Amino acid sequence: MLFFSMAWRNVWRNRRRSLLTVSAIALGLAFNIFMRGIGDGFHEQMVDNSVRAEIGHIQVHRSGYHDDPGLNRTLPDPEKVAQAIRSLPGVRGYSFRVLGNGLASTAENSSGVQILGVNPAEEQTVTTIQRAIIQGRYLANGMQRPILLGDRLAAHLNVSLDDKVVLMVQAADGSMGAQLFRVAGIFRSGYPEMDEGVAFTLRSDAQTLFGLGDRVSEVALLMDSSRQIPGVLETLKKDLTGESVEILPWWQVEPFLQQFIQIDDAFFYIIVLIFFVVISIGILNTLMMSIFERVREFGVMMALGTKPRQIIRLVVAEAFALGLVGIVAGTLIGSALTQYFARQGINLSSFSAGAAAVGITSSRVYSELTIANLFYSNLVVLAVVLLVALYPAVHAAGLRPVEAIRHV
Amino acid sequence: MCEPNMALVEVQHVSKTYHDHVDVHALNDVTLSLGKGSFAAVTGPSGSGKTTLLNVLGGLDRPDAGRIQIAGVDLTATPADQLADFRLHHIGFVFQAFNLLPVLSVVENLEFIPALQGIKTEKRRQRARELLNVVGLAQISGKRPNDLSGGQQQRVAVLRAIMTEPELVLADEPTANLDSVNAALLLDMMEQLNHDKGVTFVFSTHDPQVMQRAHRLIRLKDGALIADELQGPGANAISI
Repeated sequence: MLFFSMAWRNVWRNRRRSLLTVSAIALGLAFNIFMRGIGDGFHEQMVDNSVRAEIGHIQVHRSGYHDDPGLNRTLPDPEKVAQAIRSLPGVRGYSFRVLGNGLASTAENSSGVQILGVNPAEEQTVTTIQRAIIQGRYLANGMQRPILLGDRLAAHLNVSLDDKVVLMVQAADGSMGAQLFRVAGIFRSGYPEMDEGVAFTLRSDAQTLFGLGDRVSEVALLMDSSRQIPGVLETLKKDLTGESVEILPWWQVEPFLQQFIQIDDAFFYIIVLIFFVVISIGILNTLMMSIFERVREFGVMMALGTKPRQIIRLVVAEAFALGLVGIVAGTLIGSALTQYFARQGINLSSFSAGAAAVGITSSRVYSELTIANLFYSNLVVLAVVLLVALYPAVHAAGLRPVEAIRHV
Repeated sequence: MCEPNMALVEVQHVSKTYHDHVDVHALNDVTLSLGKGSFAAVTGPSGSGKTTLLNVLGGLDRPDAGRIQIAGVDLTATPADQLADFRLHHIGFVFQAFNLLPVLSVVENLEFIPALQGIKTEKRRQRARELLNVVGLAQISGKRPNDLSGGQQQRVAVLRAIMTEPELVLADEPTANLDSVNAALLLDMMEQLNHDKGVTFVFSTHDPQVMQRAHRLIRLKDGALIADELQGPGANAISI
C-alpha cells in the first residue's frame, strides 16, 4: 500500500507535466472512442440500410442458389421453412420472394432488370421499399400486374405512372415469356444499382411470368437486432436439418459490404496506431524525465534494500496511475462526444453521392457507443501505457546504487 | 543486548581501485575488525577511501580483492541479487544529505524499510511512533522532509536506519550538512541508541566533534589504514 501511495504521490510531484501527459492520454483515448463510435455507427447504418433495402438479415435458399442462382433452384419446402421461422424469437418479419432476370421494354427503350416478385404485406415487414416510393403507390394484392420501378430505370425507359412496361424473361422451362405490366409506383432507394436495375411486382405475377407455379426463390428475414443473427442462424440450421437449403447471414449474401467494413476498420486501426505511437513517445518522455530527476532517490531506495523488481513495480505503478486518470478522463470525454453525435448525427450531405455508393442513404451519420468500444479502447490505452513504462522502469531498476546515490 | 567482544565486521586485505583516466586506489589492503556495539568513526582527508570503505561494508560496492564478513556473511561471495536482501535485513544507512524519500511523511519514511520487509502496517507504524517519541520527534511525524530542518531530517534518517534493528548502521558524513548544534543533537541521539539499544554505528567523518565522541577512530590515507585508535568510555570494550 505504501508503494502505491508513493507511486500516486510521485505522479503529482510535477503537476503540470503529469497533467499534460494525462491530457495526451485522455485526448488519445477520447479520439479513439469517438472515431470507433463513428465507425460503428457508420457501419451499422450501412448494414442496416442494405439489410432494409433488400437483402434482410438472413436469407434462406435452396442449397447452391447463392453461388449459382437459377430459376429452378427454388426452396424445396417453403411451408416447412415458414414454420421454422415462425417459431423463432426476435424475427420482425419475413418475405418469400421470386427472383429472376429479364428485359424491361417500352416503346422507346429497354433495360436489363432484376425482377423481385413479393407479397406486399410480407415485404413491408422486411424492407423499406414502401417508404422509398416517390411517385404513385406501393404494391397491393388485387392490382392488375403492377410494377414498381426505380427512378433511374423509369427515366431510362422514359415511363411515368400508369405507363405500360413489357417484361421479357426466360421461364423456368426454358421458354420465353413476356407480359405487360403497368407502372404503379416509382421508388428512390438511394442505391444507384437498385434504382436503375430492380423492378418489384406481385409474387403471383412473377410466378406466372417465370412459370414457377407456387414455388419461390428465397425467403428474407429481418430480426429485431443484428446481434440476434448468430443465434437465429444456429437455431434455423438445427430446425432445417435434412432440408436441402442454405441459410446465409447478410455478410455472406453481400460479402462486398463485409469486406468494405473490414478495409475501413483496417484504415482506422492504422490511424489509431500512428496516434498511439505519438502519444507513447509523450508518455515515455514524461516517465524518462521523471526517472532522471530521481536517480539519487532510486539509489537511496536500492541502498536501503529495495529490489530491482520493486523499482520496476513502482515505476509501472506510476505509469498505471497516470494511465488510469487519463483513461477516466478520456472515457468521459469520448463517451460524451460519441453520445452527442449519436443524437445529433454528422451531416454528410456534401458527400451524399459517395456515401450512397457505400450504402449510406441518409444525409446524416450517427455515431454509436458500444461496451465493446469502451472496453477495447481502454484496454489498448492501458496496454500502451504499461508497455511504454517498461523501458524507464527497467532503466531505473538497472541503476547501480553506489553511483546513483552520488548523482547530482 | 550488545556483545562488544564478538566481531561483527571482519575486513581482510580489502583493496579497491577505480579505473578512470588514471587508476585510483580507493582502498589498499585494508584489514580491520569491529565488534558489536561499536561506535566507530572512519576519518581521513578527502579521497582517502572513507566512503568507499563504507560502501563495501554495506554491500553497495564490491572490493577487487580481499574479503568482507558482516554478521558471519561473506559479502564478497554473495551474489548481487542477494545483496539488496542482505542490506534490507542487516544494514542501516544514513547518507550525507537529502536521503529521506520526499513524497513520504516522517512516519512513512520510518515505515519504508519495514514495509519492504513485509511487516504489517499497524506493527511498523507503532514502532515508528515509539522511536519518534523516544527521541522527541513525535510532533513532526506527519510532516514531509521538505518541511523539516537539516538536523531533523538527519535524525529521522538515523531512526529509519535503526527501525528494524539492523546489526550495523553505516553513516556517510552524517553531520556534514549540519551546524554544530544540530550535529551535537544528532550525535547525542546516535550515542543514546548505541548505549541503550546496542546499535553498532560506523560513520565516515571530517568533523572534529564527531571524531571526539567516537569510541574508535579508524584513520585512512590514500586508501590505506594508517591508524586505529580507541578512545573514550567504550575503549576497553572494543576488539581490534
